[in-house]
Amino acid sequence: MTALGIIPHMSSSNLIKLVLAIVIGIGLGLVYGWVIDPVEYIDVTPDVLREDYKVDYTLMVAEAYANDFDPALAAQRLAILGSEPPTGIVNSALEYANLNNFTQEEIRSLQNLLTAMQTFQPVEDIAP
Amino acid sequence: MSRFFKSILLHILLTLLFGIGLGLAYSWFISPVTYVDANPALLRADFKDQFRIVIAASYASNQDLARARARLSLLGDADPIGELSAQAQRMLASGEAFENAQPLAELATDLRQGRVSEPFTPTAFPTFNTPDVPLTVTPTAAEPLLEATEEFVVTSLPTILFEQTPLTPITTAVRTPRSTFTPTAGPGAPFALMSQETLCNPGTPSLLQFMLMDSRKRQAPGIEIIVTWDQGEDRFFTGLKPELGDGYADFIMQANTTYNIRIVTGGTLAPNIIAPSCTDPNGQAYPGSLLLTFQQ
Repeated sequence: MTALGIIPHMSSSNLIKLVLAIVIGIGLGLVYGWVIDPVEYIDVTPDVLREDYKVDYTLMVAEAYANDFDPALAAQRLAILGSEPPTGIVNSALEYANLNNFTQEEIRSLQNLLTAMQTFQPVEDIAP
Repeated sequence: MSRFFKSILLHILLTLLFGIGLGLAYSWFISPVTYVDANPALLRADFKDQFRIVIAASYASNQDLARARARLSLLGDADPIGELSAQAQRMLASGEAFENAQPLAELATDLRQGRVSEPFTPTAFPTFNTPDVPLTVTPTAAEPLLEATEEFVVTSLPTILFEQTPLTPITTAVRTPRSTFTPTAGPGAPFALMSQETLCNPGTPSLLQFMLMDSRKRQAPGIEIIVTWDQGEDRFFTGLKPELGDGYADFIMQANTTYNIRIVTGGTLAPNIIAPSCTDPNGQAYPGSLLLTFQQ
């Protein structure tokens, strides 16, 4: 009986081999599961988008707002980017735009949207 | 190979597999790879729809076709134009207003054409400048002196004369006005029946086919058509078969039945439509199809 009492008639060197085998196995499993064939996400939500994609989406909302001047619609469109308030989303996008040499027109669109979001008061539907 | 050695080898192999299993369980279920920098192609279908709506709304504002195309490509659709059209159709079919689906349809059309459609812009309305004219009051009589008398005296009111220069329109833009202007029908303008073509295809059902074009001779999707006959009524929209055209719709006719057609947008009526009679190579008569082309 070995020290573990599990595998009978096994020397300590063989036990070491088994431990090594399980460690190697776990390592192989982790490499396969994390690197070779990781879990694929195919239905992600917009809040996990890379920052530049989020900023571009915010810019699109700003460009659309320059056409329809509908702050409620803009706020609704921004809401899919996460739980952050619309002003925070637009502010972050504006900072990114300033740091990454966006055109003046794009920055102006974002500033206009930021102003609209700062003054926007959502109307809550009160059910009778 | 001794039995003992085989046993050890088997143990090692089994232990290795067990370890691989543990590793996979941990990496797939307990602590899977988390995406924090995903791209739009991985978005759920409804979020992709929202992205397309915003891309189309942005395009309606900036008219930047190349940028809209690049943004659509991020969604990883095999056929971005088809996806736009299909989404517009889905929106119409679900009862959304045509105005909501229109930007998608327009972007799809422009992408298909490869150019920006000329938007409907009314001509500039001339502005008139009313100059500030100083008011001149000229009394007609000598300054009447008001005296307190017991009798009530009516004094004539002074006549006020305005010195005003004639109104002249001022042009705010230096742009040369167009020599001619062809008015473009708006989206609610009525459709007119332009042609009625008989189609004889033996073995196919007798179809009442519609092709609706807007004022710019582009196929018009999302136009509601009502077909009534003595025993019923059917309503449908153009563009629900995008493979046949955005302005296409059809309806199966019965022989010897008279149909009345109404295009809801603009209220155009086309009464007394019946299936045409065709003759097959054997001399047998059969009901053919009709292609009605309407244009705004």
